[in-house]
Amino acid sequence: MKEVMAIVRQNKVNATKDALAEAGAPAFTCRKVLGRGKKLIDMTLLRSIVDSGEIPATATGEYLSETQRLISKRVFTLIVEDDKVDDVVKTIIDVNSTGNPGDGKIFILPISESYRVRNGESTTEAY
Amino acid sequence: MLLVRAIIRPEKVGTVLSELLSAGFPAVTKMDVFGRGKQKGVKVGEIFYDEIPKEMLLMVVDDKDKDDVVRIVMKYARTGENGNFGDGRIFVSPVEEAYTISTKTKGL
Repeated sequence: MKEVMAIVRQNKVNATKDALAEAGAPAFTCRKVLGRGKKLIDMTLLRSIVDSGEIPATATGEYLSETQRLISKRVFTLIVEDDKVDDVVKTIIDVNSTGNPGDGKIFILPISESYRVRNGESTTEAY
Repeated sequence: MLLVRAIIRPEKVGTVLSELLSAGFPAVTKMDVFGRGKQKGVKVGEIFYDEIPKEMLLMVVDDKDKDDVVRIVMKYARTGENGNFGDGRIFVSPVEEAYTISTKTKGL
């Protein structure tokens, strides 16, 4: 058993959900998280808009550009059988890739045991 | 690769994040969590609080960087000289594979 942890864009949640159901891995947990990646946000674009006076530089805007920004993302957590990992990873990558930085990351972690709360079934049958 | 999960005080997140950034570890995921520790929560007057708000930081790093990351979190998430109960915990678990979605490549 493996845990697939995928950090994706917020607006790709529905597409990912549908694709995973089709790929035969419908069970997942999704959470709102904040984060940043290796590439920092390029604020020069925004800076030029503020400088040209297109939008007023409010105190909030100033504050936001001074501190580090974390971007809102969704993290999917799926527990899947070993032989399904490649399929799931491929599905997530296909649905979520726009080719731009910020599409997200996928991590695979080992899971040693799992139990079903309803009846105490263990490991393989209860993932 | 290793996943470092650090559960820390919400007010320490800012310092820890900026220190990680300046040490060359920009990639972090943060989530709000609630929990209690070995001290079973905190008692304030008559009321017992056992769902204490904390922030969880998730970082996936190369094996060689793990000690640095843990050291930085440990140093800056601590309160006072010797630390206090409730400063948090750090867990490290193995990660087998990592993929970047935008470039479709394997690895960190």
